[in-house]
Amino acid sequence: MNFLKRQNGIAPIVITPPASLEMPNFRELWEYKGLFFFLIRRDIKLRFQQTVIGFLWVVLQPLIQMLIFYVILGVLVKVPTNGIPYHLFFLSAFVVWQFFIQVVNGCAYSLVGNIGVITKSYFPRLALPLSTIASALIDFVVSFLVLQVFLLFDKNYPVTYRYLLLPVLLIITVIFSSGVGMLFGALMVVFRDTKNLLGFILLMWMYVTPIIYPVSIAPEKYRILFYLNPLTSLVDAYRWVFLGQGSLPKISYLLISLVVATLIWFIGAIAFRAMENRIADVM
Amino acid sequence: MRQLAIRAENVWKEYRIRHNLEGPQTSFKAVLNIPFNRLKRNSEEYPRLKRSEPFFALKDVSFDVEHGESIGLMGRNGTGKSTLLKILSRITRPSKGKITLYQRVNALLEVGTGFNTELSGRENIYLNGSFLGMKTFEIRQKFEEIVAFSEVEQFIDTPVKYYSSGMFVRLAFSVAVHLTPEILLLDEILSVGDAGFQQKSMRKMKELLGSGATIILVSHNAQAIRDICKRAIWLDKGGIQEDGLSSIVAEKYSAFLDSLAS
Repeated sequence: MNFLKRQNGIAPIVITPPASLEMPNFRELWEYKGLFFFLIRRDIKLRFQQTVIGFLWVVLQPLIQMLIFYVILGVLVKVPTNGIPYHLFFLSAFVVWQFFIQVVNGCAYSLVGNIGVITKSYFPRLALPLSTIASALIDFVVSFLVLQVFLLFDKNYPVTYRYLLLPVLLIITVIFSSGVGMLFGALMVVFRDTKNLLGFILLMWMYVTPIIYPVSIAPEKYRILFYLNPLTSLVDAYRWVFLGQGSLPKISYLLISLVVATLIWFIGAIAFRAMENRIADVM
Repeated sequence: MRQLAIRAENVWKEYRIRHNLEGPQTSFKAVLNIPFNRLKRNSEEYPRLKRSEPFFALKDVSFDVEHGESIGLMGRNGTGKSTLLKILSRITRPSKGKITLYQRVNALLEVGTGFNTELSGRENIYLNGSFLGMKTFEIRQKFEEIVAFSEVEQFIDTPVKYYSSGMFVRLAFSVAVHLTPEILLLDEILSVGDAGFQQKSMRKMKELLGSGATIILVSHNAQAIRDICKRAIWLDKGGIQEDGLSSIVAEKYSAFLDSLAS
């Protein structure tokens, strides 16, 4: 049976009908790491090529939103923020929120947005959503620097040992947001309305997450409800890193977030795989 | 020595044909309407039509392909040729059966797959190559050759959207045939470019075959299949009608077409 071996020693590829639940194939993804590189390059290039002021957008977007919320909620409504200047309070959570929705949107549109290549060539489809994380990260770095500039002006919020937690928080955020995004990406293959639904859900999601207000404005007994939203404790943890507000998030809480995020990621990835098997047939 | 490149065992592909009584179910509204439509359908004004029916694009297809073979796929439109290529290139999966690939597959089902018109020719070569599963260094090695073959040297750093359609097609074809496929799947693309380029691609194809590549080619051009392929498979209604020497199969196929016409 020697002839059954592939000449270069790699196991032959067996194509079978899709199973109902399939796990992501990490080994294959790794073999296609070159593709990741070029997808990321493509994303970044196209974004900055097609817009007139290109890179400035990334800086302007959080700034303009900050200005609006600062005037409305900080100056006019005077939302209590435990003595933290409102613009810092807002920006420290908003940069995270922006990163979150960028990953969710990137992953959600990655199947229907790349239909041209999906129906014409084979590659591990998971490379599409996962590569969008990189360009979102680049944007995050930029808006993070904007935040740092404002923190620097205030002089009360130096960079401290707390920033050591930042990579951990980012990892949890990436896992959670790409999981949510892939779930919507799978849904979008079946239902075109998902686009409208996604925009609506994200808007609602922003309002139930303590970004423009602190949880402390809610009556004590209802506060626990906010924490059903996994983003609430994440935003709290980011604020602790950036502003020193509150206390060090308990390791057990972080672990729970990590476990929940990973669970969501796998649900998203499995749904995504189920749909990638169908997409070439339905579109 | 006999060496297998592809083995297909009892491959079936089922599609669902929708009877659009109530429009495609691609919106939430349509899904919410399902129970009401069902009531309506069971009432007397509406005939009892099933919502969908199975359609078999491939029925129990089995064949072996050996290293270095060149096979032409023929058949009328809608007889499963493209479906078979899509399964072999792993774009869609079979409903039943099993296919084993012992070599690396490179498919060119449509010219310019994965080309982004905003990017330059150079960037597209790398992007397309990586979609086809090539390692970056492999693409770099072949880069000069690809560019030379496609005859677009001058415009290699120009966004592809400014290319003429001929240039675009030449570059895409060049990428596909140069990125060292062990198995090359081609769907109706021998007709790309002008006569000169067609001859050139024909030569390239023969050169690939000479170097031991396995080629499966879908074409309506019986002459092209006879020229390039030793073996031909004739598909009809999703099943294999004939499998043998390309000259013989091509003859039977054209006789069949004649009988239909008369």
